[in-house]
Amino acid sequence: MKDHFTVHLEPLGKKVEVPEGTPLKDVLFSYGVEFPCGGKGICGGCRVKVLKGDVSFDERHRSLLEKLNLDFSWRLACQSYVTGDVTLEIGQFDTFILADSSPFLFKPQEGYGIAFDLGTTTMVTQLVNLKTGKVIGVETAVNPQAQHGADVISRIEYAVLQDGQATLTRLVREKFATMIHRLIRKAGGIAPEKIVVVGNTVMHHLFCGRDLTPMASYPFETPEGGACHFTPEELGLKTDDHTDIEFLPVLGSFVGSDILAGILATGMAESKDPLILVDLGTNGEIVVGNRDRILCASTAAGPAFEGTNIHMGMRATTGAISSVTRSEEAIRVHIIGNEKARGICGSGLIDAIAVFLETGKIDIGGRIKGESGRIDLTPEVFLTQKDIRELQLAKGAVASGIQILRETLGFAPEDIRNVYVSGAFGSFINLENTRRIGLLKYPADKIIKMGNTALLGAKMSLFENGDKIRDILQKTIHLSLETNPDFQDIFAENMIF
Amino acid sequence: MVDILEKLTIVVKRGKADKNSPYPPDLKGQDGADELTAEALKMGFTPDEVLQKALVKGMHLIGEDFSAGRAFVPEMLMAAKAMKAAMKHIEPFFKSGSVKQKGTVIMGTVQGDLHDIGKNLVAMMIEGAGWKVVDLGSDTSFEKFLAALEEYPDAIVGMSALLTTTMVNMKGITEKIKEVSPKTIVMVGGAPLSQDFCTQIGADFYSPDPQGATEYLDALVKSA
Repeated sequence: MKDHFTVHLEPLGKKVEVPEGTPLKDVLFSYGVEFPCGGKGICGGCRVKVLKGDVSFDERHRSLLEKLNLDFSWRLACQSYVTGDVTLEIGQFDTFILADSSPFLFKPQEGYGIAFDLGTTTMVTQLVNLKTGKVIGVETAVNPQAQHGADVISRIEYAVLQDGQATLTRLVREKFATMIHRLIRKAGGIAPEKIVVVGNTVMHHLFCGRDLTPMASYPFETPEGGACHFTPEELGLKTDDHTDIEFLPVLGSFVGSDILAGILATGMAESKDPLILVDLGTNGEIVVGNRDRILCASTAAGPAFEGTNIHMGMRATTGAISSVTRSEEAIRVHIIGNEKARGICGSGLIDAIAVFLETGKIDIGGRIKGESGRIDLTPEVFLTQKDIRELQLAKGAVASGIQILRETLGFAPEDIRNVYVSGAFGSFINLENTRRIGLLKYPADKIIKMGNTALLGAKMSLFENGDKIRDILQKTIHLSLETNPDFQDIFAENMIF
Repeated sequence: MVDILEKLTIVVKRGKADKNSPYPPDLKGQDGADELTAEALKMGFTPDEVLQKALVKGMHLIGEDFSAGRAFVPEMLMAAKAMKAAMKHIEPFFKSGSVKQKGTVIMGTVQGDLHDIGKNLVAMMIEGAGWKVVDLGSDTSFEKFLAALEEYPDAIVGMSALLTTTMVNMKGITEKIKEVSPKTIVMVGGAPLSQDFCTQIGADFYSPDPQGATEYLDALVKSA
């Protein structure tokens, strides 16, 4: 019996080798596949078609497929595990699934477009057929700037204080060109009409070669945060000269065009009811608003959600504890890739704290009861008191940011129609636990996990003429949370569980 | 009736400002720092006794819990609020001179940085240890520190930064302070700092937590 199997992903032409029993969700997540209902098996958004081989499924899975009117050649990735060599077609890339599970209505156009999400940690790009709206290729990579610091502040420090700006710009542009070339080559050498790039303010400045000095200190202004256009030649791209490459403009201070794209993806600027968008990354960007007015802010949430600063923290990759549950007295953990636990990622951390708040091992002030000062999750992985403090800072910052923006606009919590959660680990988090720890104090049925809203918004903007982007820019105001006189009290209050 | 000072120590540590404050839930409806301080003074304890044997002690206990990870920012801020409620009754005696403070500490978040919760926590602890604190707020330039130093020439300066991009501004400010006033002691703190950084920029003292700062200051008074 083999203990590893090969999963072929179409239309991407990707081949991955994984251990037996690996959840398909873990395999597909890194290719930009979204799980709109959060992996409950009710929306069908993550459906995959079995082209060759098989993925076994049980009675429950069968009835979920029947409810969704899918025949038995389909599987729901969120409910499936790798049980043998298999070739799968990702259904989602046929249409863009929006947060409310409705497909995005686009105006079919000639040619191809490329959406590019330039993240601090990861870079992901998709090639889209503008006539059919289908995603026909995807590339992912680790941002090569990461060798010069994990978060945006350390990139700024390297750029401004260590004279490394040119190096960072060169590194990211080279990787960008490599990824675009690969996308184009695999699609048979097509010439894209346009490439839309989104990223946070620091990524924008580094990609575009704009001076980062103003971002190094208060008041963190972005005089050079506007849209940047490039010719293929300027970026070293060997493609047709007519391709227009645009890095979308930033919204202000640390809130970049990844959030601008996110606002586009949620439809906030057209919504009568107020909406909230929260990106749970290092900067913890928050947007609150509706068609009348939109406020955005970034919080120094710290990288706790991404596993940094957590003693045994890691990103949501193989070996990470991604969820923790309790049944009777037993604590169960799910480990990504079904391997031995090496650490814990953000979603696992949230679950663990929610579970231990319930058992009383952690009190509402965040203190671990007992003398050991740690909580063992598996023989290898444990939480420390400091880990819980880091999470309190992060969730306190995000919850305070949401509260301040909402109150500034004069909305009560019940006025909010939906809370959209984006960000790398957003798709994995347990909403009840998010509420239990006081990160998002909204009913679970109002919260929608949207996955990568930056990439989705960038894809949508491939079909836009720019009017919607201009509308968002005009309506959106950046707010500096620390200048609110009540910030300290609100922050302290939101740090308690 | 010594136990009123013990009670006061506990309400300061637990962060119970006054009778009406809902925090902490298990002390609901009981007297807080405000009422107990007034009562202690009425009972004939001297302001200095109340300060040293109850308030300073309470803040010291919460500071110890913070250093050990048993308490966190919210508990510290609540304790500081309780301390402030008590200090309203003690402050008039500072002015009249019947209670002496240990000295003056000028504090500010460094130029370019506006994160000041960390600095506020340290300021509260120092105040709670019996010092006068002159808080210059955030984004504090050398000129602002200098103006405060002119008013309080014997003061100690404390500076904080949260970002690696702003902590470097501490170097220039420390150098300038040392240039105009070589005897002035400069303390630094903040999440990205280290003892190495402190030494490198020519500052006199670094502590990873507020408790370390108050202990250092107390040692200065003793050695003087």
